[in-house]
Amino acid sequence: MPISDEAYAALEDIVGKENVSRNPAIMDGYAFQWLADLVRPNLSHFMPRPVAAVMPASTEEVQAVVRLANKYKLKVKPHGTGWYHWAAPINDEHDTMQLDMRRMNKMEIDEKNGIAIVEPYVIHAQLHAEAIKRGWTCTIIGAGCSCSVLAAACAFAGMGPAGFWMGGHSENLLGMEWVTPSGEIVRSGSFGSGAGYVCGEGPGPSVRGVMRGSIGQRGGLGVFTRCAVKLAHWPGRTDWPVTGTVPAYRLPIDETFRVYTLAMPSWDAWADAYHKIYDNEIGFIFHRQFNLAGADLAPAFWLMYTDPTKQLSDVPAILEEPGVAELTEEMRMSFQIVLAGRSKADIELQDQVLDDILAEVGGWKVERYCEKDMAEFTNLALNRLGHKHLNFVWAGGYLGSWMQAGPPDWVKGYVPTASAGLERDAKDGLLVQCGGDAMMGPGSAYPGGGNTCLEQFVSYDPADEASTRAGIKHMEDAITDAVSIGYPPGKEAAYLEMGHSDDRIFKDWAGAKQPFTFIFQRKFKEHVDPNDVGDRMYNYIPEEYEP
Amino acid sequence: MALEDFKADALRCTRCSYCKWIPFDLVKSHQFAKGCPSVDYNHFHSYSAGGRLVTMLSLMQGRSEVDDTVVDVAFKCQLCGNCDVACKVCRYDMEPLAALREFRRTLNEQGRVPEVYPKLIGNLREAGNFAGLPQADKATWADGLGLKRLGAGAKAPVLFHAGCRFSFDPTLRSAVRAAANVFTKAGVDFSIDPDEACCAGKAYDMGYRDDFTTAAAANLENWATAGITTIVTPCATCYSTFKRLYPDAAGPGADTPVPEILHTTQLADRLLKDGSLKPSKRVPLSVTYHDPCHLGRQGEDYEAWNGKEVKIYGQAVVYDPPRPRYIGANGVYDAPRDVLRAIPGVELVEMERSREGAWCCGAGGNVREAYPEFNAWTAGKRVEEAKSTGAEALVTACSGCEKNFAEAVATGGIDLEVLDVLELLERSL
Repeated sequence: MPISDEAYAALEDIVGKENVSRNPAIMDGYAFQWLADLVRPNLSHFMPRPVAAVMPASTEEVQAVVRLANKYKLKVKPHGTGWYHWAAPINDEHDTMQLDMRRMNKMEIDEKNGIAIVEPYVIHAQLHAEAIKRGWTCTIIGAGCSCSVLAAACAFAGMGPAGFWMGGHSENLLGMEWVTPSGEIVRSGSFGSGAGYVCGEGPGPSVRGVMRGSIGQRGGLGVFTRCAVKLAHWPGRTDWPVTGTVPAYRLPIDETFRVYTLAMPSWDAWADAYHKIYDNEIGFIFHRQFNLAGADLAPAFWLMYTDPTKQLSDVPAILEEPGVAELTEEMRMSFQIVLAGRSKADIELQDQVLDDILAEVGGWKVERYCEKDMAEFTNLALNRLGHKHLNFVWAGGYLGSWMQAGPPDWVKGYVPTASAGLERDAKDGLLVQCGGDAMMGPGSAYPGGGNTCLEQFVSYDPADEASTRAGIKHMEDAITDAVSIGYPPGKEAAYLEMGHSDDRIFKDWAGAKQPFTFIFQRKFKEHVDPNDVGDRMYNYIPEEYEP
Repeated sequence: MALEDFKADALRCTRCSYCKWIPFDLVKSHQFAKGCPSVDYNHFHSYSAGGRLVTMLSLMQGRSEVDDTVVDVAFKCQLCGNCDVACKVCRYDMEPLAALREFRRTLNEQGRVPEVYPKLIGNLREAGNFAGLPQADKATWADGLGLKRLGAGAKAPVLFHAGCRFSFDPTLRSAVRAAANVFTKAGVDFSIDPDEACCAGKAYDMGYRDDFTTAAAANLENWATAGITTIVTPCATCYSTFKRLYPDAAGPGADTPVPEILHTTQLADRLLKDGSLKPSKRVPLSVTYHDPCHLGRQGEDYEAWNGKEVKIYGQAVVYDPPRPRYIGANGVYDAPRDVLRAIPGVELVEMERSREGAWCCGAGGNVREAYPEFNAWTAGKRVEEAKSTGAEALVTACSGCEKNFAEAVATGGIDLEVLDVLELLERSL
């Protein structure tokens, strides 16, 4: 149902006429989302259209908008940078306002204490750039530096390739400001008691366990308007001397840094190497990155990508070049690591430790990818994560399957099934055939190691209906495959859930192994969201579905 | 081309929003990370390249209709091409800038254009230039310089094409006269055309394709008749139009091929490097250089292509033959900088957003004429960035940029000299 003139006029009064719209074409700019085609009727690329898009400029404006939503029974769906189908309205039956937070983009850095305070539209690239100038750095989430820091910290776990060293944002959250769905402003941790951003858990209210959703805005309640995150020490240069040209810029490697692509002879050795890296506490950034292009094609792909004169159609010829077939075999079980020393002696020690680990597990440094050109590219790509959109490079469509997180020994257990599944599903040519293993993931999502995962990168053409349907089928197959080997469904299940009916979702949650969690969350929701204006994907079970 | 030709681009857009920023690897601060003036000023996602693709898709799928807001979305954009560069950091199957131009052409064919457009195109049709000024005054900028003038039947291999804005706008006169003086001093044998016609690049961007094609054909014909082999222009827009758009208009194997196109900074750079120009006077000035979009990102060489999309490895999208890939990094970036470095006493300091990551001056895409406030805001942002370098002068190589920056500096009461590269070079000779 369209928003009433009365409600619309009230919105205009709050944020100004130029910052609110209900124009159908403008609304479609918010309804269109990546992954929508995989869950929407008729493979539509559009999620439900919001009834209005609103751009508040302050916490007070957000609060006024949320209170208005309560008055007029409108759902509120905020987004930072607005990526993924769950950033859009989800349910056709609900009248939803889209809050585009881009006007709230201020940030400050407490240089002495290593704390950054950010509003929703500050992205990781901005925070990272400002932090390193001051001798600090920040974790950048796996989705890349184009994403909102606040969304990652408050509405998501905030994991990324550097989480191994500096932790995810969720661990580093030092306080946040939250407009609840009922329109109350909650300030958490020490910030909430007026003691500044010292501790996310207090003195003052800690809502760590209840306010966070799953991925990005999926499942968060209300609107996060400001937060503080702890920064980590940056032991490198404080300028940013990027060289080269688009797309393959490079970052020279400091003398106290090392950048390697390492390869293993088996998945057992891969898991052993991970454990030993954890145990020896080396590694600054640790990620299986380049394999996103698929084990059959990745080595040739990156050689193409780092040459600005080449394009995708050159990949077959590169594969035929002398040595590339051997390189492809050499790199099948590879990953990337950046070591950072606090001194020359420190980095030399780390280097020696890494060499010892490689000797123990039978691994090696991939010589071609450790040469200056590739190493400098890797250095930049992993430190800034400005190329994460290469997920989509093959055909414009990508979906992630698997990605169940756990210790390396557990993760390696699903690799054969995940690889065979992609190979099987791509056999008829409706998905990109890049090798069964197109799996990518962080060395560890948690500081100190112990928790890794591998996400299968499945590429399909969203402009091709048959290919899109093959993508959907692959997701369904991946769930079946996972269950068949005793693993829980992976990331694909979270994607698909966006297209399910309320009834199905509530029944699924009611059937979960620990439904109590969802019941507890309902009680919390009843308190902060009595009029149900919050995100539909907030994980709770209505009373009538309680098992 | 038609809107439908960009449907796959729209369907393959993933709303990643890279198009709103400069390439992330180049980001050096919170303040100067943005790349798209349009979405930064207008805010709604539809005002980004990705958002415009969605709007196009919405229209194609009949989900929405053209209204005043859609017209605003399509035309309130400088077509600066930052989105194109940023998108291509990760994509080989998208052409955002070409899509935005096609969007405009489609709306124009439906008669849906900004209010000022009919007047502008009327000026071109009637007066021969967008300003609507008498063509008879076109060469008055050169009065007193003693330059050769192309006459009926005369042959001249090098033609100095001043461009309409440099020709008519008295506030830009010193720049264009400086360029002519520099080449005269270097002994370059060149002429000007007292009947110089508009390049019509603005018509292309406004979506008046027939007007553009007609103008291009006439210019090419005139140049061929006059025996022109090289065009030198101080105007970045003319440069990009001749270099990138005319070859397509002329078509492959044309009877009237496009002559060699040089920007004045390129010719000056050549003359410095071959010793024809020897700057000797010291010009003690700290300067920052602004890359005009039409000289940089849109100054790359044109490559003809007539091919089709094919798939390899099942669904990977490639083109047969390979499609030219304009990444924006191969435009004219070094020549103006080399000229500046050759001037004794000049210290060049770079802005954070430079080369393919440069922020637009605001004037492009006819925004200066159609959306003056947005134009001024965009220019003001760039002047702010220039000022942050500590430079005493903002130097550039485009009439639109120079005009915009001069106005922004004056409006803001900012202590920053605005100069053309060749103006500065002339001071050193």
